[in-house]
Amino acid sequence: MEAELRGTPTSIPVSNPNLLQTPRDSLSGALRGRLGSLDGACIEKLLLHCASALESNDVTLAQQVMWVLNNVASPHGDPNQRLTSWFLRALIARASSLCPTAMPFAATGLARARPMTVTELAGYVDLTPWHRFGFSASNGAILKAVQDRPKVHVLDFGITHCMQWPTLIDELAKRPEGPPSLRITVPSSRPPVPPSLNISIEEVGLRLANFAKFRDIPFEFHVIKANSANSGDGMDAALRFRQELASGQLDPSSLGLRDDETLVLNCQSWLRYLPEESGGIARDPSSRDGFLEFIRGLGPRIVTVTDEDSDLDSPSLTSRIMACFNYLWIPFDALETLLPKDSPQKAEYEADVGQKIENIIGFEGGRRIERSESGVRFVQRMKRARFQSIPFDEETVKEVKLLLDEHASGWGMKKEEDMLVLTWKGHSSVFTTAWVPDGFDE
Amino acid sequence: MPVELENSSVMTVSNSVSGEASVSSSGQQQAAPLPPPAPAKKKRNLPGMPDPNAEVIALSPKTLMATNRFVCEICNKGFQRDQNLQLHRRGHNLPWKLRQRTGKEARKRVYVCPEPSCVHHDPSRALGDLTGIKKHFCRKHGEKKWKCDKCSKKYAVQSDWKAHSKTCGTREYRCDCGTLFSRRDSFITHRAFCDALAEESAKAQTNNTNAAAPTAPANKKAEEDGRAASAPAPVPETSPPLATMVRTELPRQQVASPEHQREPENPASGILQYMPPPPPPPPPPSSITIGSSNSSGTTSSSGGISSGSSASLFASLFASASATTPAQGTNFSDLISAMSRTDRALAVEPPSLCLSTNGPAASLFSQPPQERRPFHPPPPPSPHMSATALLQKAAQMGATATSSSFLRGFGLSTSFGHQDGLNDSSLHWRPQQQQLEPEPAPILSAGLGLGLPYESTAAAAVLPDLMMGPPPLFGPKPATLDFLGLGMGPVGGAATTGLSALITSIGGGLDMGAGAAAAGRFGGGGSPGKA
Repeated sequence: MEAELRGTPTSIPVSNPNLLQTPRDSLSGALRGRLGSLDGACIEKLLLHCASALESNDVTLAQQVMWVLNNVASPHGDPNQRLTSWFLRALIARASSLCPTAMPFAATGLARARPMTVTELAGYVDLTPWHRFGFSASNGAILKAVQDRPKVHVLDFGITHCMQWPTLIDELAKRPEGPPSLRITVPSSRPPVPPSLNISIEEVGLRLANFAKFRDIPFEFHVIKANSANSGDGMDAALRFRQELASGQLDPSSLGLRDDETLVLNCQSWLRYLPEESGGIARDPSSRDGFLEFIRGLGPRIVTVTDEDSDLDSPSLTSRIMACFNYLWIPFDALETLLPKDSPQKAEYEADVGQKIENIIGFEGGRRIERSESGVRFVQRMKRARFQSIPFDEETVKEVKLLLDEHASGWGMKKEEDMLVLTWKGHSSVFTTAWVPDGFDE
Repeated sequence: MPVELENSSVMTVSNSVSGEASVSSSGQQQAAPLPPPAPAKKKRNLPGMPDPNAEVIALSPKTLMATNRFVCEICNKGFQRDQNLQLHRRGHNLPWKLRQRTGKEARKRVYVCPEPSCVHHDPSRALGDLTGIKKHFCRKHGEKKWKCDKCSKKYAVQSDWKAHSKTCGTREYRCDCGTLFSRRDSFITHRAFCDALAEESAKAQTNNTNAAAPTAPANKKAEEDGRAASAPAPVPETSPPLATMVRTELPRQQVASPEHQREPENPASGILQYMPPPPPPPPPPSSITIGSSNSSGTTSSSGGISSGSSASLFASLFASASATTPAQGTNFSDLISAMSRTDRALAVEPPSLCLSTNGPAASLFSQPPQERRPFHPPPPPSPHMSATALLQKAAQMGATATSSSFLRGFGLSTSFGHQDGLNDSSLHWRPQQQQLEPEPAPILSAGLGLGLPYESTAAAAVLPDLMMGPPPLFGPKPATLDFLGLGMGPVGGAATTGLSALITSIGGGLDMGAGAAAAGRFGGGGSPGKA
């Protein structure tokens, strides 16, 4: 049996991926030194084992699997290895939470070390079509919905700090019938997830206002203040987010709606952060269905919803791990083709994905805020909430296609009824939809 | 023949002098090359120099810019690159002994800039790449011999010029801050939030009495073309509905004005300075960017393209500006002076003028995507400590005899350093234990393969036991595999439990799965690759 002393323990030479294809009785030879770069199916199996071990509280087995995973994972290896290292990290986080210690566990130990500047964020959302896909489609639908309307009010719920709006402002400015006046309202609460920005949302609004003025569009920007009476200092950021939402921020009166405005509801990467049931008042606006009911009651002209097309909210840890692994390889793969090997930017993006993994796998209950549901299930939910889907018009679809053409060739799009889905190498990644309340006249 | 002058390495005090005529003095630069005749033998092997230290090489300007530094000793033919010389030398059919070049590739070399006032003159700031230092020297301290024919922008380095002319005039969107975009939506989004816009509209506020109206249509048109045109003053008459937002912008202007007042220069002279022909409206080549924000204007001004019509319109704006009150002129003047001062591609000065609300203004001027710092996760010692504590606890609680010996095979028992039954592998273990012991933290992070840079000093007490216990678990991988206990040692019989069964199943699974999964998920296979 050979044993090599390697100078740098972190580097696992990826030499022979076929090493594991050996008969069962010579596993020692099989695992000789080179466990790196197993293929996806293998890692998935390992993760499955670890998951079931954790679920059944079999710490020993979990630890053993983690050992194997540890041999596979590497922050410097190929995308599979890097992804696995984030999974392993999340699993460890979970395992450690099974055994609470005196030390408080930081909810997001993976937070990006430095928040981005606003121009960096602009670059961030445009690196891949992941965000701009939804932006383009939604803006297209919004434009059509507010055609010939003189006053537009957008209620924006999302995590990308209003990166969607400059292009809408630009398009509105070019409207043949002249631009409308535009008002954008955002909640002050935001789920504690990347991307993080180094300025406040109010400042973002200032810049948007500046830009709107530059394009001669009458503009207002409002932030719905959170009722922060309930949030304690030591509260977990995720819990605080939920609390703030539930505390009456979403009250029609606090939104400052005006009768002569055309209301637009935009939810980008938002609904997945709303829990199924908030456990408080039934149908309160901070729960998913409650929120939908709430916005329906506001009488919007159009509701645009974009989110990640994957079911990552299963109560079963095993299912979640599997679903996660079979979904979040997409951003890893896409970034791999886009950014060079040792790009620090890539590492940061991957860390953002890692944070998501950690939340989905490492936590339960209120602290698990990432609860994506796939487009198909979401459509059903919207229909239950008495919304009717509207298709994206040809023009919009064409624009989105143009957008995708400008990105790597792996990005594509498919249409499922009225829903548009962004695909990477054929796998669904993001869905975007547009809705009107059922029975909506006008 | 150009001579390569060599400085002694950073570490040595003594100068090493080769047999021939080369002169080296520590830290000093020769302004003129040595008399060419005798080719100085470059002394690379400074005696007693340990390898890790990079060799600092200081070349004179002439040598640096010389094109044929590498000379064949046989026929005296000169080459630009060492690789070319090597290729050439092969052709001489040298006997084997002479074919080897001694020690050339082994050492890492760094180069210092010959210009004494330059920051890269200091060996501690040397650049690692010869081409890099050449380009740097050219760009910073050289004359700009290359000129773009479309926009008259000048470059000292030919490759810079080539790169520029590829994109100059092409349909690329350029923000005032200098960033280029091939996509309009990225451009628009960036522009909306870019400091350059904030700057510029802050000025527009103070200039709204100016003759902005005639230029407004041109500006809008230019903007809609998506070109770099930045309208100096969008028609400010539509302010009433802006209500809240306009007011909140005033503070920004007030912040802006002190900066503007920093340069209370005579606008007329500034204009004169910038536009060589007499002030009344000549079409200055970069007039478009005059109206843009001062900070980023410099970037594009020296390279800005303008369409003829907007040029004259801007010029007229400018002419009228020069006739306006000094208070307003201040805004233009510092703009102009800033522009005239810095005619280089990326001005160092503008960041100081930039009204940046965010962090370092440098972020404006470099491509945002490359601005990221390397990722450093903040050290979370506690979770991992509890994870390891957990694992240690699990080890202590090892249920059955089999599993305990199995675990011991992992070295998970707390009494580390035991050697029972782990004969051959223990040989590997021991030296590693010695190595590993003093550095638990890196081993943990290494072992976890997560590259976590944290020092778990708090966890150090916990870690050594656990870590040293199973160097196989979290340490250098190869030896650990011996401890799988699969087919060896005391735990060979435990192959049916836990992990070994797992591995077995994986191995079996792989046999089936390998084909289906092909090269794995990332190898380009489209299918999720489940076996």
